[in-house]
Amino acid sequence: MRRRARNAMLAAVLLIGTAAFLMWASEEPMGKAVARTVEWPRWMREEEHQRVVARRVLPPRPVASPTAEAAPPRPLDPFLEALPRDQDEPLIVLEANALRHSRLGELFVDCVVGTSRTDPFDEMRREAGIDPLKDIDRVAFSPAGIVVSGYFDRARLDQLQAKSELTSYGDHGQIFQPRMASSGGTPPASLGAWRGQLLVFGSRSFVQEAIDRVEGRAQAAPSVIPEELTYGEAYGVLPGAALQRLLGGAQTELGRRLASAAPRVELHVDAMHDVAAVARVTGADAEQLDDLGKSLGAALSLLRLDAKARGQSEIADLLEHARVEPRNKGFTLEVALPIEAVERWFDHCGAEAPASASHR
Amino acid sequence: MTLAIALDILREARSRRWIIALWGLSTLALVVVALGLRLEVVDGALAATRLFGSTLRTDVRAVDVALRPLYLAVSYIVFYGGALLGIVATADFAPTLLAPGRIEQLLARPVRRWEVLAGTFLGVEALVLAGAAYGGAGVAALLYLKTGILNPGPVVAALGVAVAFAPVYAAMLLSVVVARSAALSGGAGLLLLAAGLVAGQRTPLAELFHEGASRAVFLGLTALLPRLSAIATIGARLAEAQPVSAGPAAALVAGTLAFAFGLLAVAIARFERKDY
Repeated sequence: MRRRARNAMLAAVLLIGTAAFLMWASEEPMGKAVARTVEWPRWMREEEHQRVVARRVLPPRPVASPTAEAAPPRPLDPFLEALPRDQDEPLIVLEANALRHSRLGELFVDCVVGTSRTDPFDEMRREAGIDPLKDIDRVAFSPAGIVVSGYFDRARLDQLQAKSELTSYGDHGQIFQPRMASSGGTPPASLGAWRGQLLVFGSRSFVQEAIDRVEGRAQAAPSVIPEELTYGEAYGVLPGAALQRLLGGAQTELGRRLASAAPRVELHVDAMHDVAAVARVTGADAEQLDDLGKSLGAALSLLRLDAKARGQSEIADLLEHARVEPRNKGFTLEVALPIEAVERWFDHCGAEAPASASHR
Repeated sequence: MTLAIALDILREARSRRWIIALWGLSTLALVVVALGLRLEVVDGALAATRLFGSTLRTDVRAVDVALRPLYLAVSYIVFYGGALLGIVATADFAPTLLAPGRIEQLLARPVRRWEVLAGTFLGVEALVLAGAAYGGAGVAALLYLKTGILNPGPVVAALGVAVAFAPVYAAMLLSVVVARSAALSGGAGLLLLAAGLVAGQRTPLAELFHEGASRAVFLGLTALLPRLSAIATIGARLAEAQPVSAGPAAALVAGTLAFAFGLLAVAIARFERKDY
């Protein structure tokens, strides 16, 4: 009996020693800390407000009949002034310089440089005199044309004179109109330049109207993207009519319903760390919008479940944080992609980027 | 013979009214949750959550993502609730078994002393596992019926209870062998559970101590203890569909079970020396 007790005690010592070792070994990190908060672009942050103020470099427009109560006119942002005013057309702005300095931008640049034989950014720098990684500040896309803001003093616009007709326009504008081919057809896009700060691509009338708005000759019209909505690294507006055009063919009826329920969709994307997008959908019919919000939420969930079942981890990652939040007169749709997932997408791109370090 | 004693323990549990009452209480809690929780699920998306008529959430998002906090809470409730109920429910099993008269009668049969303790340990572990699995599987089934999403998280938490309860009950058995008292047995179980919660957080807690002797003593004392709260954390992570490194998790479970068997071996060594 005493021998059995001694054996049991020996086993106890061995077991407790083994337990201590195993538990010490288990104190390695159990897994990545994944409980994290996505920073949603739901409103303008302080640094974005400072950015807005710093961009107001145009003198204020004189007011025809000033009143004592009215706030004094404030200086204007030439880029926002140049943007088209058609409320029925989509308009998206990319904060190119901010995006360039985000993690997403770094990955993109490394990928482009790593997969090309020659450095395309360097080529553009040499040939056009524009460094796309430094000189471009913002780019706005609309169906009618493109507006770019930045530092274009060293741009080699003179090279265009061989193929284009150069005319001065307004106080500080220049328009390069490509010479028409004899066969006719759609006229090639014109390029407008304003004070080495703005470049405008599009039809001649689009370019002229942009310069007219910047120099104060155009008739006053409300902005598609007012200054208070210029937050995030990408932002813009999609009118219902544009959504309807996007969903053509078999989806025509869905497009019509979407356009009637959601006449205006406002987009904001934050890409400084994770990529988080907020779409604010507004309209007059609250009931229709509520139905639309629930259907969208359900569709996203089904899409995510389907992606998980099919092993499409990229789509499943994208929809992991997707949700629809009811708001006053509409709802917001939020979708986010954690930066780890973005990095996985770029995993095999630009791995051998020899020149990537020089761009940082 | 070990299995026969384990079955005896289970039979005895079935005959105890208050163990049946605890079972009934768990069932009642499940029924209350089933009746009170209203989840508006549209094609896999959670559109609204109402608890007893009050709206908890109004946003629409994937139901398995939206319910992660719920699974997290349930797994912690199953773990800590299961461990506490287990201690209360089983505190007087071993004292009854070792009561004068009964133990002599038991040892008069062809049974080894270690088999008595091993059988008791096995029976109680089976009882705690069954109880925790009932609660965990019940919640998982309820949420499956309401949402269409099957998340085995609460069941995993129940398995965690069985693992974490092993050293707790081994300590309770050791205390009974030293001094036959249900109160002391329950106290020993609670003490080890509390110590295990502290040990599971020993790294962040150590930073509260001044660097030097006091921190070294704290780390030295807690080094031998099972990291019970870390087991609860693993269950919660799995319930939330978060990644868990298999290697450290396996080492933790193996270490906890080794600690339990070590304490059981100490109890057996003490029991072998006792005169009945």
